[in-house]
Amino acid sequence: MLEVRNVRKVYDGRAVVNDVSFDVQSGEIFALLGPNGAGKTTLIRMITDILKPDGGSITLDGKPLSGPDRPRISYLPEERGLYRKVPVLDALAYFGELKDLSPRAARAAAVVLLEEFELAAWAKKQVQALSKGMQQKLQLCTALIGEPRLLILDEPFSGLDPLNVQILEDVLKRRRAAGTTVLLSTHQMNKVEQQCDRALMINRGHMVLYGKVGDIRRQHGEHAFLVEGGAVPPGLAGVRASEVMNGGVKLTLERSAEPAAVLRALLDRGVPVSGFTPLVPPLEDIFVHVVVSGAGLDQGRSGPPTLDQQMVGGAR
Amino acid sequence: MRFSLSRSMIIARREYLTTVRRKAFVFSLLLTPAILFFSTFVSGKLASDDNKAHQRQSRIVALVDSSGQFTQAAPEYSWQATAESSAPPGAVSLHGRTTEPEGKKVTVMATVRPFKSQQEALDSLEAGTVNLVLVVAQDFMNSGAVRRYEHDTRVFTSGADDGPTRAWLTRSLLAGRADSSRIERTVSLRKSLDLYVPARAGGYQLKDDQRELVAFFLPFIIGFLISMSIVTGGQYLLQGVAEEKETRILESLLTTVTPDELMVGKLLGLGSAGLTMVGIWILFGLGAGGSMLALMKIDMPGMLIGIGLVYFLLGYLFYGSLMTGIGAITNNLREAQQFSVIFTMMNFFPFYVLVKILNSPNSALAIGMSMFPPTAAPTMMMRLCASSLTGAVIPLWQVGASIGLLALTAFAVLKLSSKIFRLGLLLYGKTPNLPEILAILRQS
Repeated sequence: MLEVRNVRKVYDGRAVVNDVSFDVQSGEIFALLGPNGAGKTTLIRMITDILKPDGGSITLDGKPLSGPDRPRISYLPEERGLYRKVPVLDALAYFGELKDLSPRAARAAAVVLLEEFELAAWAKKQVQALSKGMQQKLQLCTALIGEPRLLILDEPFSGLDPLNVQILEDVLKRRRAAGTTVLLSTHQMNKVEQQCDRALMINRGHMVLYGKVGDIRRQHGEHAFLVEGGAVPPGLAGVRASEVMNGGVKLTLERSAEPAAVLRALLDRGVPVSGFTPLVPPLEDIFVHVVVSGAGLDQGRSGPPTLDQQMVGGAR
Repeated sequence: MRFSLSRSMIIARREYLTTVRRKAFVFSLLLTPAILFFSTFVSGKLASDDNKAHQRQSRIVALVDSSGQFTQAAPEYSWQATAESSAPPGAVSLHGRTTEPEGKKVTVMATVRPFKSQQEALDSLEAGTVNLVLVVAQDFMNSGAVRRYEHDTRVFTSGADDGPTRAWLTRSLLAGRADSSRIERTVSLRKSLDLYVPARAGGYQLKDDQRELVAFFLPFIIGFLISMSIVTGGQYLLQGVAEEKETRILESLLTTVTPDELMVGKLLGLGSAGLTMVGIWILFGLGAGGSMLALMKIDMPGMLIGIGLVYFLLGYLFYGSLMTGIGAITNNLREAQQFSVIFTMMNFFPFYVLVKILNSPNSALAIGMSMFPPTAAPTMMMRLCASSLTGAVIPLWQVGASIGLLALTAFAVLKLSSKIFRLGLLLYGKTPNLPEILAILRQS
C-alpha cells in the first residue's frame, strides 16, 4: 500500500532521514520506532506530504502522494492542538468537511465518532471544557473522521488512562478489520508487541531494524529456551549454558544447535518436559540495545536491511 | 496535492464566521465608530455648548485705562448670542426668566466700570464683583496693547469671545472722530474678506471653508478606511496564524489541506471579516453623513470607488501575505505583533503627511509614496480624492503604475510568504533571523 523508497531529507548539510526504504501493507498495523530526534517526525511529514523529500520516492497504491487523486491519509501529530472556543461537534465536523465530506455527512460522521469514543454527551460543549484525556480522544476523532485509508498516529496513547487506552485499542482493531492501514509511532514498546504486525526502527536518520515484530524479537534473542517439567541433566549436546529461572530451566543453545534436536535429547534422557518455550527479549530491551550500541548506523546500505544484516550490526 | 478551492472556501467560511462572532470583533465594530463619533461630534458639541453658554453670560467689565483713550467710552456694550433653551417661545424658566428656543438670538449686555489701578480691578475679579478686567497700556496708541484678565478654564479660548469687546474698543476709540456709519463699517472690516478662487468650470467661485473642510476630511476618511480594512484583515491573519501555530493545530490541518489552500482560505476569510467591519462603518457613515455630502454637492465618482476597491484588494493581498509570513515564522502572537508593527506603521505613514499630500497632490513626496507599495493604497486614494474635490489633475499613468507596482509586489510577497508559510509553520522554538529565513526560502 505505502511504499517508501530510498527517501532522504537534508537540513543544513546533515541528513536527518538517510536512505530509508520500507513498505506498509494494506490492513496492517505498522510500528515506526526510534529514539527522540531519530528522524521519525520528518519521515512522517514526508509521508503526509507536508515536507518534500530531497531524494527517493513515496507512493501510495503505486501513485505519488502529490498526485491529483491523493488518497486519504490522516495524521495525529505528537504535538496536538484543537480550536478551543468552538463546540466539540463543530470542531470535529470541520475536519470532516476538509476531508471532502459534505457538511451534513461531516456532522453525521462526527456524531458517530463521538459516540464511539464516549464523548457524545460533550458534543455541544466547547472544546476547552474537556479534560486533557477527552481532548486527546477528540484529537483522535479528527484523525479518524472521513474514513482514512492510511492512519498515522504519533504517540496516540500518551495522556490516556487505562480505560481510554482500551477504547483506543478497540477502535484500532475495528478500523484494522475494516481495512484501514495504521502506521503507529510510539515509545510504548508493549503496545507495539501487542498491536503491531511489523516495525521499522530508525536511529539518527538510518534504518536499524525492519521486519515482523516477532522475527525481530526472536532474532535479537540469545537462542534460549525455557524448559518446564523437570531437572535438566548436564552435558546435553548443543547446550551452551543452563540456569534455573521462572519455575523452569533456561537453556542457552549454541548458535548452530537445532532446538528440536535438543528437545529430543531431553526426552531421550527421560526428562518429563511439559514446556519448551523460546525465550525472546522484550522489544524495549532491543530498542535500548540498538540505540546505545549504535547498531546498524555504519553500513551505508541503500535498501531495507535483511534480518541477517541487522544481526551483523545487532546484538551479537 | 492539487490546489482545491473548495477546501480553501471551507477554511475561509470557518475563519470568517469564527472571527465575526468573536466578542472582540463586535466590540471593535461598535466601539471604534462610537469613539470616533464621541471624539469628533459629542466632544465638539460639548465644547460648542460651553462657548455658547459663556457668550450668553452678561458681564461686568473692569476697565483700567492707562492711556486715557477710553475716558469717553460708552458704559455698556452688547452682542447677540444663541439662546439656550429648547423650550417653546415665551416659556418661563424656573428662575422666572423668559427663555428663547434654540437657534434664536438673545441680546447680552456688558457693563463697563472704570478702575484706577490694575490691582484694584484684579481684586474685584478675585472677589467676583467683576467678570473681566481690561488693562489698556499707557502706550496703547503706539503698541495697541490691551490685556484681558478673566477666570476662564476652557481650553483653546485665548482668542475666542473677544469680538464684542474689540468692537466696543474700536467704537470707543473712534467715537466723535468719525460718523457712526464709518465706525460700524470699520468694525465689520475686522471680519475676513470674501475670497474668490478659480473655479473648475471656469471663472471664479467663492472659497467655501465648509466645503474645504469636507475636502480635507473625505480623503482622510477614505484613505483611513482603506488602511484600516487592510490592517484589520492583516492583523486577523497575523493573529490567526500565530495562534494556530502556538496551539499546534496547524500540523493536523496540514495533513488534510496544503499550505496554499490554508493560506488562501485564511486570506479570503479574514480579509472578508476586515472588509465586513469597514463596510458596516461605511454604511453607517453614509447613513449619517450622506445627506450632508449631497447637500454640499459633493459626490464620489464611481471610478474613484472602483479604484478604491482595487487598492483595497491589492493592498490587502500585499499586507495580508506579509502578516501570514510573519505569523508563520514567529512562535507566538506577541512575537508576531512585534515583527509586524513596522509594517503597520508604514501603512499609516501617509496620514502623517496628509496636509502635504492634499495641498500638493502632485509633489514628489505624494507621487513617491503612491508608488511605494506599502504606502501606495492610502496615498493614491488621498491624491485622487483631493483631485476630485480641488481640481488638481493626477496623471492616469501614475495611477496605472502605482496599481501595477503594488500588484507585482503583492504577488511576489504572496509567493514568498507561501514558501515561508509552508516551512515556517513547522518551526518551533527559536524565531529564525534573516539569514535563516533566507535559508528557509532556499529549502523551499
